[in-house]
Amino acid sequence: MRSVLIVDDDPFIRKLVSTTLEDVASFKLHEAANGIEAVELAAEVHPEVVFLDIDMPRMDGIEACRRIRELDNGAASKATIVMLTAAGAQENETRARSAGADLFLTKPFSPLDLLRLVDELS
Amino acid sequence: MPGKGTITDVSVLQERLASVERSAAEKEQQLERYAADLRETFKRERERRHELRRSYMATVRALCNAVEARDAYTGKHAERVAAYGMEIAKVLDAPFSEDPEVEFGFLLHDVGKVAVPDSILWKPEPLTPEERLLMERHPVVGWEILCEIDFLGEAKLVVRHHHERWDGDGYPDRLAGDLIPLAARVFAVADVLDALTTVRPYRQPSSIEDARAVIEEARGTQFDPEVVAAFMEIPPSRLDAIRLEVG
Repeated sequence: MRSVLIVDDDPFIRKLVSTTLEDVASFKLHEAANGIEAVELAAEVHPEVVFLDIDMPRMDGIEACRRIRELDNGAASKATIVMLTAAGAQENETRARSAGADLFLTKPFSPLDLLRLVDELS
Repeated sequence: MPGKGTITDVSVLQERLASVERSAAEKEQQLERYAADLRETFKRERERRHELRRSYMATVRALCNAVEARDAYTGKHAERVAAYGMEIAKVLDAPFSEDPEVEFGFLLHDVGKVAVPDSILWKPEPLTPEERLLMERHPVVGWEILCEIDFLGEAKLVVRHHHERWDGDGYPDRLAGDLIPLAARVFAVADVLDALTTVRPYRQPSSIEDARAVIEEARGTQFDPEVVAAFMEIPPSRLDAIRLEVG
């Protein structure tokens, strides 16, 4: 089954994103709390879309993004990676883009943008 | 120990507090964003609902005009009957008095006449029994034409039963009393009111007063007594105003 991976250290945000996306598209939703978990889970479930918070303890989103791109499986390395960024962090966006991020959602993100994005990808 | 913390402890605590506050503020902003999107979605959905209602109405009117275009005499008969019918419904406090579906039914009541040949529809002499049978099929034909249109809901029952009589002597299903849908019972009164008060090839129009007397006379035979009672509550001046308004 096609899947979406939601990565944020804040359980509140993970819950919000997964509740928003539940039943909207035929994706199975997975959650991870940091970059390390994210890379492990991506290797396992081959997500088509990854929502990746840029600022996390242990391994941040940029590093996780790079490692997901380097994963030795076709699906995850081709995933659409959507970075969740804080407003006004231009420099981070540039770094994330070079690490392989495709799209950006600025926090606080618009739930409608989130839904439209997943709708387009499904 | 309380009150014996070092400066380092205090600064660690302050830092932790600041981080908690930051996180709470982020959550709050995120919730506000959800609320804003919800509000916008609601407004858009409301606008679409109105748009949909307008286009349903325009579609129904177009269909209704197509039916009436064949009949130079009745003119805006359907629109007047719909307006009278909704007025009676208001007095009755009928559950459908705010319901656009029933108004659609009033407007479309004769749509089945598209299947009646001109030679019968226009025949000045009395109809033969066969011709009458064909003519009396129009409520069923109308119902069949509309039966797949979901948004018409109850309207389809008005179309099917608008020629039933309270005493069971009507058509097509010879329903009597409460078995006739209320909207169709209301329609029957409005229909006769308009037929009597407009010019027909064979006679001059009656006054509203005369029409009221005719309807009162048929209370309990052709018409539901309660619907007639509600109708009689409407001042003739109000009925006149509706007639002039629709044209």
